[in-house]
Amino acid sequence: MQETIKYSEPELITLLQKRYESAFSYVYQQYSGALYGIIQNIVADTELANDVLQEVFVKIWKQIHQYDATKGKLFTWMLNIARNAAIDMVRSKGFQNNKHNDELKESVYEHAGTTQIATDQIGLRKVVHQLKPEQKQLVELAYFEGFTQDEIAKMLQLPLGTVKTRLRAALIQLRQMLKNT
Amino acid sequence: MDIQAYIASGVIESYVMGLATEQECAELESLRKQYPEINAAIAEFEAALEAGAMANAQQPPAVVQQKIWQTLQSEFQQQPTVNATFSEKGKVIALPWLKYAIAAAVIIIVASGALNIYFFQKINQLQQQYTALVNESNSLQAGLNIYKTKALDLYNSMQVMSDPNMIKVPMPGVKGKEDNLATVFWDKQSKAVYLLPNRLPQAPENKQYQLWALVNGKPVDAGLLTADCNGLCKLKTIPEAQAFAITLENKGGSATPHLDQLYVMGKIAG
Repeated sequence: MQETIKYSEPELITLLQKRYESAFSYVYQQYSGALYGIIQNIVADTELANDVLQEVFVKIWKQIHQYDATKGKLFTWMLNIARNAAIDMVRSKGFQNNKHNDELKESVYEHAGTTQIATDQIGLRKVVHQLKPEQKQLVELAYFEGFTQDEIAKMLQLPLGTVKTRLRAALIQLRQMLKNT
Repeated sequence: MDIQAYIASGVIESYVMGLATEQECAELESLRKQYPEINAAIAEFEAALEAGAMANAQQPPAVVQQKIWQTLQSEFQQQPTVNATFSEKGKVIALPWLKYAIAAAVIIIVASGALNIYFFQKINQLQQQYTALVNESNSLQAGLNIYKTKALDLYNSMQVMSDPNMIKVPMPGVKGKEDNLATVFWDKQSKAVYLLPNRLPQAPENKQYQLWALVNGKPVDAGLLTADCNGLCKLKTIPEAQAFAITLENKGGSATPHLDQLYVMGKIAG
């Protein structure tokens, strides 16, 4: 960490809104790795993951005025931008990640000249994989693939209330697991 | 409403992870304003999620940052750096010092200006005094030169008068001009005649005093008394005479004296 300055979050946001390169550079140094991690949980192709990370930071820069501190921390906001951008990328490319495919659990393998990442072997998705199968499936579909609860209910032929209840239970479980790591 | 049950329902996790419906979001955002414990629970889960994400950070390749910076370069503001922050602080400290320095400089300039005026006036004054002294010195020198000349004249006159060959011929004023007096010094050897006009009235502009030697009853011109004669003045050489006399004549002198203009006369002592 070559940054010696520590910004408080309001300070950092003010400096970002003033378009200071130093603040943006700080955000990149501080958070690019964590955001890259979540992107790699969703986008298996390294080149595409790189493109998404680039797009995410350009969005953070362009949309910092839309950030509302009363709704959450800066990182929460950035994490959701990263997740949405990654899901959009996967959908626009018709990209097939290894959802439901438990056979493809090798960490990294070469495919058509691009590097593929086993998206469920790192980061948050690895934690999610420790959930019970029915909970894991719901979090996978909702969080990493971006389906709405309505879509999931139709897909799994379950009542919407059940999907909601199970998903919430899964998230509470996830919270406990995050606490313990 | 049972807030603890609400917090434990999983809605907070849904909200933070972006999985809550619009209706759930609206409800939570309204409730969090009333219940600080909801806020605290949100903050707690955000921190846990962030910590989890940070712990699982993956180093992106450097090329990504290069591309981002290429895209945004034109929008970056050059920010106050750490050094700039320090120098800003420095300025805050330096500013009062600078103020005093400027104030001091202004005072020095004003004082120096005032001194300049003072010294200029002083110099003018001294210049005038100096000029006055030079003038005074010049006039004293001139006066001294006059006295020197007079002293020299007197010395020379004394030399003439004390000569043992000199015959002194006092010429008192004639009747009606008793206040006047002149003296002739006549050198027996060289026959040179010197005149000392002791007391003669100032000659008018167009007149001159003329000395006559009486030789066997006849007046012989012995020379004119010039205006520049201040002491003993040498006139014409007279080989022989029994008496001397002075008359006031027209300028340039006359061939024969106008006796009505006779001022003084004296006989040579036997």
